[in-house]
Amino acid sequence: MAVGPASLAHPVAGRPFTLKGVLEREGVFSWLMLSPGVLFLLAFIAYPFFYGIFLSLEDRRVASPGVFVGLANFQTLMGDAVFWQVTRNTFVYVAATTVLKLAGGLGMALVMNQRFRGRNLARAFLLLPFIVPTALSTVAWMWILDPTFSVVNWLLVHTGVVAKGYSFLGNATLAMGSLIVVNTWRGMPFYGITLLAGLQTISPDLYEAASIDGATTTQRFRYVTLPIIKPVLIIVTMFSVIFTFGDFQLIYALTHGGPANATHVFSTWAFDIGMSAGLLGMGAAVALAILPALAALIVALTIYLRRE
Amino acid sequence: MRTRREFLTLTAGAVATTALGSRQVAAAPKALTTVRESSFIKAFDDYFAKTLLPEYEKLTGIKMSYEAVSVGGMLTRLTTIAETKSGPEVAMTAINWPHLFDASLVDVTDLATEIGKKLGPWHDNVLDAVVVNKKWKALPWGNIGQLEVYRTDWFAEVGVKKFPETWEDLLSAGRLLKKKGHPFGFELGHGFGDNHGWLYPLLWSYGGREVDKDGKTVLIDSSETAKAVDFCRKFYQETMLEDVLGWTDVNNNKAYLGEQISCTNNASSILVVAKRDFPEIARVTDHGLNPQGPKGRYHIINAVSHAIMSHAPDQPATKAFVRWLYDDKQMSRWLASGDAYYAPFLAGYDNHPMWNSEPRYLPYKESLKTSRLHGWPGPAGHALAESVAKYVLVDMFAKACRGDATKDVIATAASQLKQIYKAK
Amino acid sequence: MVDGRDFLGRLRRLYLPLAVFLVLMLFPFYWMLITSIKPNRELYNARIMPLIVHQPTLKHYIDLLYETNFLTWTYNTLLVAVVTTLVSVVLGTMMAYPLARMRFPGAAVVAIGVAATYLVPQPLLFIPMSDIINRLDLGNTLTAVMLTYPTLLIPFSAWLLMGYFKSVPRELEEAARIDGASRLQAMTRIVLPLCTPGLLSAGIFSFTLAQNEFLYALIFLAKSEVRTVPVGAITELIRGDVFYWGQLMAAALLGSVPVAIIYSFFVEYYVAGLTAGSVKN
Repeated sequence: MAVGPASLAHPVAGRPFTLKGVLEREGVFSWLMLSPGVLFLLAFIAYPFFYGIFLSLEDRRVASPGVFVGLANFQTLMGDAVFWQVTRNTFVYVAATTVLKLAGGLGMALVMNQRFRGRNLARAFLLLPFIVPTALSTVAWMWILDPTFSVVNWLLVHTGVVAKGYSFLGNATLAMGSLIVVNTWRGMPFYGITLLAGLQTISPDLYEAASIDGATTTQRFRYVTLPIIKPVLIIVTMFSVIFTFGDFQLIYALTHGGPANATHVFSTWAFDIGMSAGLLGMGAAVALAILPALAALIVALTIYLRRE
Repeated sequence: MRTRREFLTLTAGAVATTALGSRQVAAAPKALTTVRESSFIKAFDDYFAKTLLPEYEKLTGIKMSYEAVSVGGMLTRLTTIAETKSGPEVAMTAINWPHLFDASLVDVTDLATEIGKKLGPWHDNVLDAVVVNKKWKALPWGNIGQLEVYRTDWFAEVGVKKFPETWEDLLSAGRLLKKKGHPFGFELGHGFGDNHGWLYPLLWSYGGREVDKDGKTVLIDSSETAKAVDFCRKFYQETMLEDVLGWTDVNNNKAYLGEQISCTNNASSILVVAKRDFPEIARVTDHGLNPQGPKGRYHIINAVSHAIMSHAPDQPATKAFVRWLYDDKQMSRWLASGDAYYAPFLAGYDNHPMWNSEPRYLPYKESLKTSRLHGWPGPAGHALAESVAKYVLVDMFAKACRGDATKDVIATAASQLKQIYKAK
Repeated sequence: MVDGRDFLGRLRRLYLPLAVFLVLMLFPFYWMLITSIKPNRELYNARIMPLIVHQPTLKHYIDLLYETNFLTWTYNTLLVAVVTTLVSVVLGTMMAYPLARMRFPGAAVVAIGVAATYLVPQPLLFIPMSDIINRLDLGNTLTAVMLTYPTLLIPFSAWLLMGYFKSVPRELEEAARIDGASRLQAMTRIVLPLCTPGLLSAGIFSFTLAQNEFLYALIFLAKSEVRTVPVGAITELIRGDVFYWGQLMAAALLGSVPVAIIYSFFVEYYVAGLTAGSVKN
């Protein structure tokens, strides 16, 4: 693919028609770069994608043929009180964890961006919650959130602050709070490390210049740091939001949506309906119910990112 | 199905076609695969995979293999197998799955009749779980029963020498025990089995029913249900910890072996683990039948069974393997390796030596007589699966325990059941 | 230079928050560690202080290594993660670069289309996906997950890298092209080195997600010999309602701490990215 220096400085219109010239055109070059990935995704995702949408329009039970029912599944959902409870749960879960992870992750990145001894090791170890398989870390949380063995309760009870420990997963409000904590614990390092990478692309000269101009720490953050890491910040947040919307394992293992649906979210409820009840069509409809919200988010971000 | 194929040829077609050609040559069974959920009793899994399968392989030359699926993953795996019509030829089923996968399972009525004649008769309460439209779609293997597991020493401390016969008596014992710092712990959260394992029997023993035999008349809104709900609220508030509302199946085992609770509803796994790791707890642990209510005594059926998938290229050969497996020579040994965790549904095994090793397992056999499938007396089809997956019954009780009014929780359950059973 | 006020400032800006982060993030690992070396009798004992191990034992580690296929699972996991990461980051870079820095017909459609892959309901994706895998005759092979994981990771890598690629000033690239570099050379020699931290982020993310993935691995890898660590451990160490806590926690630690140590060498490159950037500026 090596291309000679010929005529590169010339505008496109005046370029002679050679293979090299064609390859240097933005459109051609772009599509050559894009095609392997696009083809791969088309081959593996396109079929499942349309399959999922198609399923949601059918009354389709496992191992039996489906009947096309149009939007009936969605209509049923609109009239189901549990659906609205699940919707509320999902938005609370996603909003709370995103804010916590964003704030905590940014703090973590700012701390990690400073020079200190053992920095590399500390950076890597702070990633541990993200590295360890969720399937296994939730097993540890089963103990940490156990009212008897929880360190929080142990301290509160043994110091005499409260007589009886809190029930972290039995109380509806605390259960949601606990899951938010666990999700934040797991996801924050990802924000931290990604934003740290963003911070590292900022040249120290810029800070120096700002300092010479008399900027305070806050001002430096606001006018130098933030604008530069903004694209990364936004993309990380978008992905985190999408992944959190789909978060499944953690909730499924710790509460399975209990107590009394207080922690059911779209993904766990869709799984129960689609897999445990064998209602594949309805399960797909539940999972697709957030599509409008996510689609709006994605379109908005695409526009933002492509804007110069 | 056709539509899905079209999608595939349109999109992944280019990648897939080459492989497709070679795969469609149906071969005589060179190999058979069995898939089961990994058993609580490791020795039971090992006996199947390391003794029985190699024996059959030697006997017939067919390459036998075994897939263990993680707990809670079996239904997902079964769904994939049925939907893609590929994978293991023999699969484990539980609860009412033969009804869900009816179209993907081979009729095994002939085998069931044959086995029933030799070793039976079959206990007829298991028929609900495996017979679909008068055809046997799976062969019951054994029941994973749910009983009351309790601390004999602590019960004795409050003057209860024998496990209480009625729910009210159990409540009285529980009150005293909770005061002594030994509360009860019955799962009221979204686990797989330890919730339904006592809540259906509780409802039934007070005369409550979810839905009638016809599968159309929702019966939950009744004074009997109200009594069961009121009892449950009292039972929870006066004997238990708040945490049970969020429990899944693992929690009661953990709490019992951590000496946090004095009684729970569970399979025999607590005693088995206690015998291995906590001999002093095992010594003071026993099993009791579910207590009686005003309308009798009930237990839950969870029939672990084996089904033959209809995509199996050579059904006679697959059937031959299952027939061999359900022959007394094999079945007897395999059952024995299971430490009485699985209670067989065949009368011929009622006095099997497996029951002699530990008298405390005997109530699991005893309980079979009063066991019913989830949702009984309603039909065991898709609607039942939906009701179970949506935890309609569990949440009705759980909300009442949390403090909601009896009539509200019943009204919610009734409207959910009406939607599920498409009833008026 | 180091006087009292400096130290206080550093305490406030660095040591205190650092300590808080370390404690919060690592406490569960401390719990895993003590659980993995506690005998069961002690684990369940609520009367003793839970944060101390009174009679440590290595039994759980020995059982994990000798009675399960843990080493095979680890090998499988690493192999899958490495291949998946390479495929995803390379293809993701190739997609992100034109999307972030070029104008061409169809760009917006592709950008949205790539992100739209995440709109597919994940829990239901695996039915059609396993149909494809079965038709390719890849059931119970590691190739099955090596092909499916990138479907999640290419879009992610592409989007993440778009952010980093955007942050490199266009003039740098233009200057290189005026100096005679082709588009490909401008990309590989100018932009990519500046985005090393981004590439590492994408790589770390892909690697981590690949080694943690559960659902596809559960469905596609049904035999013990081809399993990855999470699926293998969950299948064989949770039996019914009984958990083999110590072994599960040993598996969690052995599966994550070595990876963290390897990452600690990579994080050096963040600094490399920084110097490259400042020199060019």
